[in-house]
Amino acid sequence: MLIEQIIVYGAISGGVYALLALGFTLIYGVSRVVNLAHGSFYMLAAYMFVFFGTFGFFGSDPMLASILALVLAVIFVGAVSSITYRLAIHPVIGDEVAVLVVTVSLAIIFQQLMLLWFGASFPRVSWPAGSVLLESTSILGVSVEYSLILAFVVSLVLFASLLVFITRTKIGKAMRAVSQDREVAMLMGINTDRLYMLTMVISAMLAALAGIFITASIEKFTGPWLWFKPLTLSFSIVILGGLGSIKGSLLGGFIIAFAEKTVTVMVPEGGAIVGVVPLAVIIAVLLVRPKGLFGKRIEMEE
Amino acid sequence: MHLLEVNNLTKSFGGLTAISNVSFHIDEGEMVGIIGPNGAGKTTLFNLLSGFLEPDSGNVTFKGENINGLAPYRIVNKGIARTFQVVRPFRHLPVIANVMVALKSPRGARKIEWIKTMERKAAEILEDVGLSEVMLEPAGNVGHGDLKRLEIAKALATEPDLLMLDEPFGGLNPLETDFLTKSIMRMHLDEPSRGVLIVEHKLYALMKIVERVIVLHMGEKIAEGKPEEIAKNEKVIEVYMGKAT
Amino acid sequence: MVMGYLRRAYSSFAAHVFDVPPRLMAFLFLMILLLVPAAGLGPYYLSIMIYANVVAILAASWDLLVGRTGQISLGHAIFFGIGGYSSALLFKYYALSVWVAIPIALLIGSLAALVIGFPCLRVKGPYLALVTMAFPLIISNTVKWSPLVDIFGGEFGLRGFPGFFPFLPILQQRTAEYYFTLVLLFVSSVLMYKTANSKTGIVFMSILDDEMASKACGINVTRYKLLSFMISGLFGTLAGCVQANLLRVANPPMFELTISFLPIIVTFLGGIGTIYGPIVGAYIYALLDRYVLADLLPRLLRENFQVMSLPSGYDFAKLLVFTLIVLILVIKWPRGVSRFTTDKLEDLEEARDLDERGPRIWKTYKKKKSSTPA
Repeated sequence: MLIEQIIVYGAISGGVYALLALGFTLIYGVSRVVNLAHGSFYMLAAYMFVFFGTFGFFGSDPMLASILALVLAVIFVGAVSSITYRLAIHPVIGDEVAVLVVTVSLAIIFQQLMLLWFGASFPRVSWPAGSVLLESTSILGVSVEYSLILAFVVSLVLFASLLVFITRTKIGKAMRAVSQDREVAMLMGINTDRLYMLTMVISAMLAALAGIFITASIEKFTGPWLWFKPLTLSFSIVILGGLGSIKGSLLGGFIIAFAEKTVTVMVPEGGAIVGVVPLAVIIAVLLVRPKGLFGKRIEMEE
Repeated sequence: MHLLEVNNLTKSFGGLTAISNVSFHIDEGEMVGIIGPNGAGKTTLFNLLSGFLEPDSGNVTFKGENINGLAPYRIVNKGIARTFQVVRPFRHLPVIANVMVALKSPRGARKIEWIKTMERKAAEILEDVGLSEVMLEPAGNVGHGDLKRLEIAKALATEPDLLMLDEPFGGLNPLETDFLTKSIMRMHLDEPSRGVLIVEHKLYALMKIVERVIVLHMGEKIAEGKPEEIAKNEKVIEVYMGKAT
Repeated sequence: MVMGYLRRAYSSFAAHVFDVPPRLMAFLFLMILLLVPAAGLGPYYLSIMIYANVVAILAASWDLLVGRTGQISLGHAIFFGIGGYSSALLFKYYALSVWVAIPIALLIGSLAALVIGFPCLRVKGPYLALVTMAFPLIISNTVKWSPLVDIFGGEFGLRGFPGFFPFLPILQQRTAEYYFTLVLLFVSSVLMYKTANSKTGIVFMSILDDEMASKACGINVTRYKLLSFMISGLFGTLAGCVQANLLRVANPPMFELTISFLPIIVTFLGGIGTIYGPIVGAYIYALLDRYVLADLLPRLLRENFQVMSLPSGYDFAKLLVFTLIVLILVIKWPRGVSRFTTDKLEDLEEARDLDERGPRIWKTYKKKKSSTPA
């Protein structure tokens, strides 16, 4: 029974984790920005999902209202990310230390804003009561909510679409060009500034989607401080998979999800200590193989 | 035993082969030049020899010891010092402190005579390269010509047995070039057993001071010999004429 | 004879301190600080100054690592927490008084820095930043983990140790604590200052400026980074130790990100890359946070504008405002290291003055330098 739990829940979480990590690795790969506020976008989306949900659009159909809330939340986060990019990140791109201080400051600012706006509580986040999403089915003998299955499917579909976007479209190719050699890309006429902005928005929206799905389907609540966990999660997945590697985020997401589930299920009081898993992975990877599974040798020399 | 022996050195990046099967040697007291059109792999070769890159195959032997894969600081402490083509001064430190960093390395510290302080030794080195005037200026405020000389001063501080200069004449005006040429010759006379390897584009300056020239093109060694011979070498002329420099 | 000695000592002191403008200012600042308790402030206000001292030590330690050696640390809280918990545990299990516990805690902190630094410092920039962010989290989770509650006290931490001057009445206690922390701050900053301006400090700076070039000078960069990390960790641990014994509690919030962020706020307020910057910033921060915003402003509002109670988000807004200020500062002036260079130059002059065995050439430069206008 335990093994099936690990497999099923691990796989589902893995898919969504991969989405979250993809956003993080994308913004780093393209613009070399380590966005410590990545988890903030996750959290903001969860809050906005609740907020927009209270408006009760489409009066009669809570499911449609939920979907609209989701869409609005994601767009909102995307808009916020573009403003923060323009005002805060763009001025300091290139200075690694400054970028880190700026993004961590942003994370704290968002945290305080949520504290001010919604208070120090942990609002409940869930799909509308009575909707089909809250019902469960059984996979491998494990009871799974449909909302989780939805999350899994959407994540993988999105992941695949992004993969296609990056490999087939012109913009996607521009992204890859810039991530490989920024100066040459600029010489070839690619407007790096606009590209960075676009990447930031995509990255934030990915985090937003992951945020809503994980919060509504798995965690069921959010809070002003709950930006750090998704951040360390993203970071550990990306370090494990290799900074800048898309397949690394996919594989890394699943590995970490399985590892977490194993700890929760197998270790006594595992639920309390499971937060350590991503952190321990970070340290282990840095000790053993800093570039991760598929990473390029970025950190050794310029 | 050669001072430096390079055997079948190869290095690729992704699909691009930067250095391909390069072999040569340098003996004590020799001044050797490396020339070649842009992209020939000269700086890659320097990075390989100084430990900033690891070769894919082949080996580098220094004073009989294999130095493949050693960390750059270890190679410096064994006696190979290099300058950078694009100067890398410590901008926030005064010029004299720049040299003091090199003197703080194990090898540099060993070379300070017991009666001198580090500041004094640094000042002497700076005087040798003609930087006494700007000794206390932050390196970030100092002109390009002086920074080129500072590169050399930092390399000299560890009293290397092999000195590698990466385009030391880059960006210098004719007066500075002349002064530097004379400085290098004088340094050579002061330390006759030191080997010197110079990568340079300004052929007229280089050919005057080196005894032997190695020509690289697209990562391969295409010629080697005395400066006069190389100047007349057909393949070399073709390689230089055929490319826009 | 004693007079002659005193006179010589005085003129040497004057030459070292009074003739050097920044040092003169530091000296005056110190004099003012020494006289603060004489102003008859109550224990509450003294505790604000004490807080400033502790934050200053923490911030200065962070600045040495980040501003001087260029290794970004977003997890300095770990040393803070290690300091606090070490001292508390040493009391709990060995009944060691704080005066004995502190040196041992410092040792523990340095060793911890070695252990933590080893994996961390092999990597650069963003990796380093996030790993440093991760460590305090790991420790804090471990400390809160229920199976270990008996050892670490879980959510509530450890209490019950006596602190520094338990036998004194409150005003005298605060006064003693104030002078004690002031002395610690003075000693710490002098030690860090000397380190930063020593030859080792020059190497630190070279790593900050250009790691690759530093390696090319034969420097074992990793070793120096570790050294800087250990020194920084040592003083960070001191700050934590002191704070725990002032408040007489060591608990998980000591490992929080807000503590890690404190040196960042404070250093950017005061000037990064200098030793006095964090100290000045710490005082500005402590006065702003605990006096102006916590005491003065509410009182003014109450007395002049009849605003009886503050809006509920007031505390939250404080951190928000501070972080916003840091954000604006970082965006406008990412690197305020300009002041550092003047410091450096002065120290080299001092080194030259003290080098009496220099050759004649050396003395000629000295004369040339003093005769040309500054």
